[in-house]
Amino acid sequence: MNLTTQRHETVQVRKHGVSRRGFLHTVSAGALAAGTLNLRDVMSLQAAELRKQGKSMILLWMGGGPSQFETFDPKPNHANGGETKAISTSVSGIQIAQGWEKTAAIMDELAIIRSMTNKEGSHPRATYQMHTGYIPSGSVKHPSLAASIAKEISNPEFDLPAVVSVGATQGAGFLGVQYEPFMVQDPSRMPQNVAPSVPTNRYGRRLGLLDKLEDEFADRGGDVVVKNHRDLYGKTSKMVLSSDLKAFDISDEPASMKEMYGDSNFGRGCLLARRLVEAGTTFVEVSSRGQGGNWDTHDNLYERVGELTASIDPATAGLIIDLKDRGLLENTLVVWMGEFGRTPKINPRGGRDHYPRVFNAAMAGCGIKGGQVIGSSTADGTAVADDPVTANDLFCSICKCLDVNPRKENMSPLGRPMKIVDGGAPVEKLFA
Amino acid sequence: MQFSTTYMAVLIIGLGTFVSAAELSDKASPAEVAAEVDRLVGDELKANEIEPAGISADEDFLRRVTLDLAGTLPLSRDVTLFGLNPDQAKREQAIDRLLESDEYAAAWARYWRDVIFLRATNMRAALANKPFVDWMTNNLSENKGWDEIATEILTATGDVRENGETALIFAQEGLPEDVAGEASRIFLGIQMQCANCHDHPWDRWKREEFHELAAFFPRISVRPVREENQIRSYEVVSVNQSFNPQDRFRELKENADRIFRFADRNRDGKLVKAEIARTQLARAFDTLLERGDKNKDGGLSLTELKAVEFPMPMQVGRGSTEHFMADLNDPSSRGQQIEPKFFLTGYSPESGLADIDRREAFSKYLTSSRNEWFSRAFVNRMWAEMTGEGFYSPIDDMGPDRTASFPGVLDLLATQFTANGYNIRWLMKTIALTQTYQREIRSTEPGTEAVPFASATATRLRGDQLYSSIITVLGSEDSAGRGRGMQMGTGGGMYRGARSPRDQFGELFGFDPSTPQADITGNIPQALFMMNSPMLAAQINARGFTRLTGLLRRFPDNEDAINELYVMILSREPTDRELKITTDYLTEVGDREEAFEDLMWSLLNSSEFLSKR
Repeated sequence: MNLTTQRHETVQVRKHGVSRRGFLHTVSAGALAAGTLNLRDVMSLQAAELRKQGKSMILLWMGGGPSQFETFDPKPNHANGGETKAISTSVSGIQIAQGWEKTAAIMDELAIIRSMTNKEGSHPRATYQMHTGYIPSGSVKHPSLAASIAKEISNPEFDLPAVVSVGATQGAGFLGVQYEPFMVQDPSRMPQNVAPSVPTNRYGRRLGLLDKLEDEFADRGGDVVVKNHRDLYGKTSKMVLSSDLKAFDISDEPASMKEMYGDSNFGRGCLLARRLVEAGTTFVEVSSRGQGGNWDTHDNLYERVGELTASIDPATAGLIIDLKDRGLLENTLVVWMGEFGRTPKINPRGGRDHYPRVFNAAMAGCGIKGGQVIGSSTADGTAVADDPVTANDLFCSICKCLDVNPRKENMSPLGRPMKIVDGGAPVEKLFA
Repeated sequence: MQFSTTYMAVLIIGLGTFVSAAELSDKASPAEVAAEVDRLVGDELKANEIEPAGISADEDFLRRVTLDLAGTLPLSRDVTLFGLNPDQAKREQAIDRLLESDEYAAAWARYWRDVIFLRATNMRAALANKPFVDWMTNNLSENKGWDEIATEILTATGDVRENGETALIFAQEGLPEDVAGEASRIFLGIQMQCANCHDHPWDRWKREEFHELAAFFPRISVRPVREENQIRSYEVVSVNQSFNPQDRFRELKENADRIFRFADRNRDGKLVKAEIARTQLARAFDTLLERGDKNKDGGLSLTELKAVEFPMPMQVGRGSTEHFMADLNDPSSRGQQIEPKFFLTGYSPESGLADIDRREAFSKYLTSSRNEWFSRAFVNRMWAEMTGEGFYSPIDDMGPDRTASFPGVLDLLATQFTANGYNIRWLMKTIALTQTYQREIRSTEPGTEAVPFASATATRLRGDQLYSSIITVLGSEDSAGRGRGMQMGTGGGMYRGARSPRDQFGELFGFDPSTPQADITGNIPQALFMMNSPMLAAQINARGFTRLTGLLRRFPDNEDAINELYVMILSREPTDRELKITTDYLTEVGDREEAFEDLMWSLLNSSEFLSKR
C-alpha cells in the first residue's frame, strides 16, 4: 500500500465523519500500518462503521400545498376553520385535525411547526425553494437539499444510489450526477431497467468483453472518458448485481406490514422508504403527488382532503411506528411538508387557495423532541402569532439533525461558492 | 493546400512574430479565416513549445463532423465511400453537404431548445417546446442571421403554441429580471443575475446596471389562453397600462374625495355595496370594507376610505409598467424606478416607451456591430460545442473580467462573423475547416493539464445526438418519428406533454448544453437504460427481425461481420487488437449468434459510442 493510497483513505475516512480514533478502535492500527489490509477491506470496514452511525432522512412531500387547517393547525372555533373538527392526540393539550387519527396516536414522536412562513405562492417556485433552499433563477440550478446532504453524509461504498425519490423531484443541480435522485415511478414494482436482459453470468461476460474493448479507446486518447465510463458502469453494474437491490422489492413484506402502511401507493412508497433507509440509503423522498395525492385543493376541500388523509395518515403513522420498532427512528429524520399552506378563507368553490404566509410542517426522529408544537398562528389563521420559522430555518434544523454544516460551501459552475443553506438558524426548541 | 502554404509562411517569417490579420479582407471566406485561425493557434502552440496532435483520419473526421453538423452518425456505407474518395476537397464537400441537410437545421434547433428550456423556471414551459423547435428549424434551414433570430426572440408576442419565438420569454414567465438574466447569458455570454440582489463582488456590473437591463422588459405579460373556461395555452402580451394593485390603490387614495363624491349617490356620507356596484371599485369593495370599516356599520365613510391600509403584495411591483429595483433595506417597499439602459454600450432609449418599442431598442443595441459580446458569445458557444473546448469556460460566463484562452482567435472569428452578417453556416463551416477542429484526440500525460486546441477533445454526446445515433445504428425511424424498438415507458419531467420517443429519451439523457463538458459523465439511470432496457435488448438480437440478424446473414465470415458491426456502430473498422479480442471471444462463447449479440451490446455500451471522438 503506497503513501498516496493511504492518504486517500484518510481523507475518505474524515470526509464522512468517522472519527479516526473510532476507526482504529475497530481495526488494529498494526494491521493497517503493516499493510495487511487492502483498500477494499478498509472501505468496507469504514462502511460498516458508517452504517452504524449513518443518518438518513425521509421527506414526505405533500405536493400541491396542504391546508394547515385540515392537517395540524385546525381552527374549529373560528369561521376560517370551516367544518373541520379538532381531535385529541396522545399528548394532552395538542389537537390536530380530524382525519389524522393514526398520526394523533403517535403525537409523542412528532414535533409540529405551526408557524412556517414564506413568500412564494406559485407551485413551481415554492416547490423549488422548499427543495433547494433557494428561489429559482435561470442562471444556476441549485442542488436539492437531498443532494447536499448525500454529498456530506452518504457512504460512497454503498451499492445503491444515495438519493431515491418515489415520484418526481428536484435534481442535484451543480453537485452532479453522483447525487442525482434515483427516480422510482411505482413503489410496488422494481425500478425500470435494473434487471439484466440476459442471465447474470452472461451479463458478467458482457461486462468483461466491454471492459477489454474499452482499452482501445483509452489508448487512442479517450482515457478520461473511459475512466469516467468505467466508474459509472462499475457503480451501475454493482447495483444491478447487488443483494441490496432487493430493498426495492416490497413484495416480500408480510401482509400485516403492508396493512399498517395502508393499501395505497403513498403507503407503499413509505414502506419502500423504510426498506431503503434500512439498507443504507441516505435520503428518500416520497411524493404524495407522485402517488396521485394532490393537495392543491382549490375546490371541494373536505371531500378531497378526506381522500388524501385516508392514505397519508396511516402511511405517516405506520412509517414512524415501523422505524421506531426497528430502532431506526433514532437516526432517521422524517419530515412532513409541502410547498405552502392554504388561505384562511374558504373560497366560493368550497376550496382554499395558495397561502405561503402561514403553513405547517411536522418532524420526527433523529434528535427531534416529539410531543410538542412550535409556534402558532393567529386565531383567524391569517398570520404567524409567534416563533416564525422560515424555509431556511427549517433547512438549518434539518442539517442540525443530520450533523451537516449548513454553511458548508459548494462551488457552483461559475466558480462562486454557495452555502448549503444561506441564512436562517436552527429552531432550537425542536431539540430542547 | 491552404494550410501548408500558411504554415510555411509562418516558418519563414519566424516564430513568435505576430502577423497582423490585415491581409484578410473585412469579409473573408471560411477557408481564409480557417487558415488564419490555424496560423494563430499554431504560433501560440509553437511559442509554448507544444506539438499539436496530428490530423484525424477520414473515418474519425466524418463521424465527428456528422455528429456536430447533423447531430447523428454517418451510415456505414458513407464511411466506406468517404475513405475511398480520392478528392482533396472531400472534407469541405462533406461539410457543405451536411450544412445543407435537413438534419442540420433540426438537430441545432433541438440544441437551442435545450439551451432555453433546460433553464425554464416552470414546467409548463414544455408547452412551447415543439413550436420553438419548428420555428427554429425553419430559421436555420433558411440560414437566417443570428441577429435576426435574437431580435425575434426578444420582441416575441402571441400564443406560445403558434409563436415559437416566445420560448425564452415564456420559459422565464415574462418576469423582467429573469428574462434580462437569460438574455444576457445566452446572447452575451455574460452572467448578471447575481447583480439582481447585490453588487457583484467578482464583477464590475453594478446592481443598478442589471436592473437597467431588466427595465427593457417590465411591460411583458404571460397570460393564460382560455377556451371553454379551461386553460389551453399561454400568450406573451404587451401590457402598457398598469394593473399593479399598488398603483391602483395609490390612485384610489389620491382621488379619494372625487371618487367618494361620485360614488356616494344618496349623499349620506357612507359608501355601501349597492352604490358602487357599477364603478371600478366594485371588485375591491369587499376587501376595502373588511379593512376600512372601523365602526362596523357596513359602509365606508370618506375618512374610513382614506385611512384604509393595504398590506404589501407578495411580489412588490408586479404588474407595473415600469421596472423597480427593490430597496434591500426595506424589501416591502416598491423600491426605486429604473430607466432602461444597456450596460455594455451605455445606450438608453427615451423613457416611458411602449413594450415593443423598448424591446426593439434593446435588440438593436444587442445586435449592433459595436457590441462585440453578441458575436463573441455565439462564436464561443459554437466553437466549444464543436471542438469540445471554449475560449471561455463555462461558455456562458464570459465578459470583460474573464480571461479567454487564445483571445486573438476568438477576436478574429467574432469580427468576421459580424462582418459576414452573423451568418451561422458561414461560422460552422469556418470552424469545421480549421485544422484545429480536425485534429486527433490524444491522451494527456499524467499530471499535466491538457493544452486547449493542441488536440481535439473527446466529449460525451448530447442526448439528442445519442438518440439519433442509436436510430441510425438500429435502422431508420418510421414516418411517425418512432425508432424501431425505441418505445419507452411513461414518465414526468421537463418534456411532459411532448411525448415522442425522442423526447422521452431526451428526458433521460438530456443535459443542459451550457454545462462544461468535464461535468458531463452520465448517470445510473442512463447506464441502466443502455445495459438493460428491453427496448434495446429487443434489437440486440441475432435471431429476430433485426439489423444484426441481417448483418450476420450477409457476412457469413466472422471477421467480415465484426468489421461491419464496428463500422455500423463506431463508424470505423476494428484494430488488430480488437479483432483478436472479439474473435477469441467468439471462440470462447462457441455460439455465433450469442457472441455477436454480446459484441453488439458491448459496442453500444462502450464509451466510444457514447462520445464524440
